[in-house]
Amino acid sequence: MSVLAELKQRHVAATETLNALKAKLKQKRLLLLDTDVAGYARSQGKTPVTFGPTDLVCCRTLQGHTGKVYSLDWTPEKNRIVSASQDGRLIVWNALTSQKTHAIKLPCAWVMTCAFSPGGQSVACGGLDSVCSIFNLNSPNDKDGNLPVSRMLTGHKGYVSSCQYVPDEETHLITASGDQTCVLWDITTGLKTSVFGGEFQSGHTGDVLRYVTYLFSAFTNVYLEMISAAFLASMFVLGFSVSINGSNSRMFVSSSCDSTVRLWDTRVASRAVRSFHGHEGDVNTVRFFPDGNRFGTGSDDGTCRLFDIRTGHQLQEYSRPHGENEVPHVTSIAFSISGRLLFAGYTMVIAMYGTLYWQRYVVFFSEWCFNSYRPSTVMNVYMYDALFTFQLKFLNQQVVLNLGSLQTSHYGRISCLGLSGDGSALCTGSWDTSLKVSCDL
Amino acid sequence: MTSVLRSILPVSSAKSEDHDDDYSVEYSFAMEYSGPPVSQDIPQVAPVDVHRIPTAAVAARGVTLSNLSLPVIQPIVKKSDHQNQKLLEELKSSGSKVANHQVSKAHVGKIGSSARVYSRKSGNFSYRDGELAIEEGGNGESNVFGGAQSSSSSGTMGFSDGHDDSNHLSESSDVEELDDNLKAGVSYGDCSNPTTSNSNEDAEDCVDEVSGQGHRTSVVTFRDLQSNDSMSEQTDHDEPEILPERRVVLDDVKKGLCHRCCKKNRFAGKEVCIVCGAKYCSKCVIKAMGSMPEGRKCITCIGYRIDESKRGSLGKCSRMLKRLLGDEAIKQIMIAEISCEVNQLPPHLIFVNDKPLSIEELVMLQSCANPPKKLRPGKYWYDKVSGFWGKDGEQPCQIISAHLAVGYQIRQDASNGNTNVMINNREITKAEFWMLQAAGIHCEGNPHFWVTADGSYQLEGMNYVMGKLWDKKRVRIVCAALSLPFPSDITNTGGEDIDDNSNKINSKNPEQDTKNRLLLIGCDQSGTSTIYKQARILYSVPFSEDEKQNIKTVIQRNLYRYIAIILEGRERFEEDHMIEIRRRSADEPGPSGSSDQVDKKNAYSFSPRLESFSSFLLQLVMSGELEVIFPAATRVYSPMVEELWKDKAFQAIYKRRNELHLLPRVANYFLDRAVEISRIDYEPSEMDILYAEGITSSNGVASVDFSFPKSSQDGYMESSDQNDPSISYQLIRVHASSLGENCKWLEMFEDVDLVIYSVSLTDYDEYYEDINGVRTNKMLAAKKFFESIVTHPTLAEKHFLLILNKFDLLEEKIERVPLTQCDWFHDFNPVISLHPHSATSSNNPPLAQRAFHYIAVQFKRLFQSLTERKLFVSRLTGLEADSVDKALRYGKEILKWSEERNTVSLNEWSTESMEPSTSV
Repeated sequence: MSVLAELKQRHVAATETLNALKAKLKQKRLLLLDTDVAGYARSQGKTPVTFGPTDLVCCRTLQGHTGKVYSLDWTPEKNRIVSASQDGRLIVWNALTSQKTHAIKLPCAWVMTCAFSPGGQSVACGGLDSVCSIFNLNSPNDKDGNLPVSRMLTGHKGYVSSCQYVPDEETHLITASGDQTCVLWDITTGLKTSVFGGEFQSGHTGDVLRYVTYLFSAFTNVYLEMISAAFLASMFVLGFSVSINGSNSRMFVSSSCDSTVRLWDTRVASRAVRSFHGHEGDVNTVRFFPDGNRFGTGSDDGTCRLFDIRTGHQLQEYSRPHGENEVPHVTSIAFSISGRLLFAGYTMVIAMYGTLYWQRYVVFFSEWCFNSYRPSTVMNVYMYDALFTFQLKFLNQQVVLNLGSLQTSHYGRISCLGLSGDGSALCTGSWDTSLKVSCDL
Repeated sequence: MTSVLRSILPVSSAKSEDHDDDYSVEYSFAMEYSGPPVSQDIPQVAPVDVHRIPTAAVAARGVTLSNLSLPVIQPIVKKSDHQNQKLLEELKSSGSKVANHQVSKAHVGKIGSSARVYSRKSGNFSYRDGELAIEEGGNGESNVFGGAQSSSSSGTMGFSDGHDDSNHLSESSDVEELDDNLKAGVSYGDCSNPTTSNSNEDAEDCVDEVSGQGHRTSVVTFRDLQSNDSMSEQTDHDEPEILPERRVVLDDVKKGLCHRCCKKNRFAGKEVCIVCGAKYCSKCVIKAMGSMPEGRKCITCIGYRIDESKRGSLGKCSRMLKRLLGDEAIKQIMIAEISCEVNQLPPHLIFVNDKPLSIEELVMLQSCANPPKKLRPGKYWYDKVSGFWGKDGEQPCQIISAHLAVGYQIRQDASNGNTNVMINNREITKAEFWMLQAAGIHCEGNPHFWVTADGSYQLEGMNYVMGKLWDKKRVRIVCAALSLPFPSDITNTGGEDIDDNSNKINSKNPEQDTKNRLLLIGCDQSGTSTIYKQARILYSVPFSEDEKQNIKTVIQRNLYRYIAIILEGRERFEEDHMIEIRRRSADEPGPSGSSDQVDKKNAYSFSPRLESFSSFLLQLVMSGELEVIFPAATRVYSPMVEELWKDKAFQAIYKRRNELHLLPRVANYFLDRAVEISRIDYEPSEMDILYAEGITSSNGVASVDFSFPKSSQDGYMESSDQNDPSISYQLIRVHASSLGENCKWLEMFEDVDLVIYSVSLTDYDEYYEDINGVRTNKMLAAKKFFESIVTHPTLAEKHFLLILNKFDLLEEKIERVPLTQCDWFHDFNPVISLHPHSATSSNNPPLAQRAFHYIAVQFKRLFQSLTERKLFVSRLTGLEADSVDKALRYGKEILKWSEERNTVSLNEWSTESMEPSTSV
């Protein structure tokens, strides 16, 4: 008993130290943020992007789902979209013609995520059945006319909340799950390549330290907690979303309900490279910035934030004005190809006499005020790097265009959005069972 | 000729004007003597131009509101007025042009991109126009003024003028469309001819100008455009009251030009916006109309009421669009177009007996047996007694269903008759009079007839049916000849468009899902998976091969886990045993050391082979990799298990398995058949499946569709069952952990009908130990989770059924462990009465029974305090099929009650579960 008491004491002491260090770190970071990006941009003579009401026009309404649409993904090259809905189907659309090329009946209707493979040959989906299923679009239908599952990635102990293919690798996929882990899968074998986060670090090379850690935990969970807080750093990851760095596919970020975002290196499964704090609610979505050195997040606290992966700083916070009791959640975000624009899907809850309303917003935030937002002018990598010699401070964000004001908006909560590979079209999926494709004119 | 017409014109306009005679007169004068009053008029022009717009609005509003015969006419008048006005304005000085520009610019924002394109260009061109106009406009100014005045007077004069102007200027401008807009078109047709020739000098000048400029069609085009702008501006002010939603009417660009790209292709198909009339070529239509959520409307027109003249074309799109979008998409769009709420007839614009309709009345009118055909905004009269229906001031055009509660009392002069003969309080028209005469009815002395819906007629004040009007054959013929209506026997003949109108609202509704969804939810070990599996077995939904394979994996893996637990226990036993042996050997030292050795070996130790297997297994479990290795490695280790099982040492431990608390109860079931189960060709039986822990290795969501078979058991509810024998149910089993933190994903189940929350009754003395080593009572955890589920917004207003599971185990446990172990149940102190007088309920209910009731009441109170509704509770033993069946049927009943809620008091029903609880 005395051992336990002592351990508890040590644990408390360690937590205190940890918090003190964190506070110190935060302070230090604040000190370093000495320049205003908005001011800098202004001094460079950059003006915010302006949008007319008809600059982004909803060209297609993809109707065919009978349930809430929860997720969508574009093929990298062709104009196809896969969408996942609560009616238990994945539908592959041709975004140009709004035709359905495939309707895949899922074994489990509660699907949360879907993804197109880089080559566009297969789609993956995952949901409450804790399985990530891969469908090969080229395989023939079975006797019931359904597309058979070509591979089931089983092993998660919680729902699969997000899945994404590793860029340019048809056979590797990263999933984020409610069991607080992210897993890198080898699709050909159907086995886990590495597990990120979670209680037990997995991998095919057992190392002594880990084993020791485990033994510790066998004796006292308290101590394990202490250790984990100190260096495992990923104990409570409840993966919601995962985004893989486009330019360096070994890095990915995961966001979690513990209101943190963590950066991982697929070669180092044992611990997160860095964790990012700042959000005050579940982080629902995370996307890499096109240059791969930053990523954006969207959270239940109603804000989107931009973090830099090299310094760990939060570069920018985007939020909409909202009332006290009605914080609109950010459900999904996407960056334009140039990174100039951040698309954020919002929900708003208004609790009124016990009834629930969902309102929808698609809000476009003006962002870095540099070049044209046009996909063709991707100068931003350079610009950002140049800029980074300055320390950044939050700049005034400005809503460029509120799509919700247009009549082309959804009638239900917007659950997902994605930008096409060439950046020319934005697709939004909603609980009103439809998807809408908007084209930049 | 012109002089004749000139003299005629003011007269005619004065006639047609029912107001503002001064204006029309002034106007006509202005036309005639263009020269003299210039000096006076000019100062007025500029201020009027700017300010007149609002004043005109006021006037128009008053007119439209008070005098309802105008709404149809007005747009045309205005259109022509504005064309006219614009025309004239262009002849004016550049100052007014600037004003015009501002107007058009101000308007751009509303019109949207298409308009913007024009406005920019029109700016340039109007300048040019202006210059040209000034060059030629010697007599322009006075005319300008006259024109402007005419526009404000909104007289017919203006119309005819504008009409022929457009005819002249842009030869292709659609006269047809204007005519469409106005049914009055015909009557004006007469006027337009004379005015053409009559038109004053400036119009002629314009004609000259056009012809002089030869091919400069663009000038003409943009003039029209500009007129369009100024006009739309005007409409914004003029019409907010009558057509609040009506979009600006875009005047057409020259025929054959796309409104967006302004490219000319006379023959290529175009699609027309049903609100503003803008036309788009195939290249632009998608960009201009977007996804067409309300049918073919410009993006900026979305949300606005359609142009009534285009109502006939609803749902009929051009071939071009079909080619562009494909059949599927077109179908979708056309359905949207027809069924979209904004595109419905505006009820407040339909007047029946001078009373605007409400939306309900409109629906009633359209959905009656004999609805009026071709209902358009306008004024109608309706004879409620006989069903006669007609436009205000006209003879009846149809006989619709009688006795509809629509509109006020009919006016005597509703049909503008002058025959002094009354039918149902309405003075009939000549045609009807002839019809009556044809029917052989004497109409001398200004009689007043009452005609009922079936055609029987009687004189006022006489209670005597004189005959049936429609029975006479001659009447039918006469009616046809006089284009009077004749009652149709067949309901709804030829009312297609109305059908469309009324059906479209329903057609949009998603097909009613008859599936009832039961969400089964519970914490760890609460037995939800057992209930789920039991349901599958009960309602004969067989497990598929895949599922069996999955369960087999689970069972086998669990078997290894059980074995590992036993082996872990062995280590402890072995140690204990060693200590004991050592003690014993210390007690009686002797030469029997070797036999001791043997003894020890026999007791709990293995052969080296088994020893290594054992340590391997233990290590796997410890490192959490059991699941990674095991399903796959079964083949290898299956003989090992057999060997292990046969080992005496293992059996010795197995006998002491009750001392291993980690070993779940079901382990016995499987361990007894360990050898069989570990084999590669093992096939789990239904019983095995039932006993297995979990459903799939991932423990995710599982769902099963079933329907309750007719069973003799529910004979007492057979009567109510008859109507829904085929209702299918879906049981969705969700593990608490798969809902995420704060039940984040519960929102996925918002469409469930009933939530079944399962709690294990044995939880009250069991504890979780979380990662911090904090022990939580499982019952309290279940309570907490229950609270979060019940208060979750997604499940608000849902019915809840609480299942208290594992009653059999409670019966055992309650004897050993008091219920008060759990803080929540601290005040459970059953009085065990030995009095035999309460013999009604199973003679002194056993303790477990009372504990169950007590727990049920606790949960009910909690639920009541959280939701102020009633919680349904059922008792269950997961492994007994009957009890599961009973509980699920109870759930079915709850759903049925909720349907019947209005008629049956809920309290009555729920007493079944409440009454035992009160006995505690």
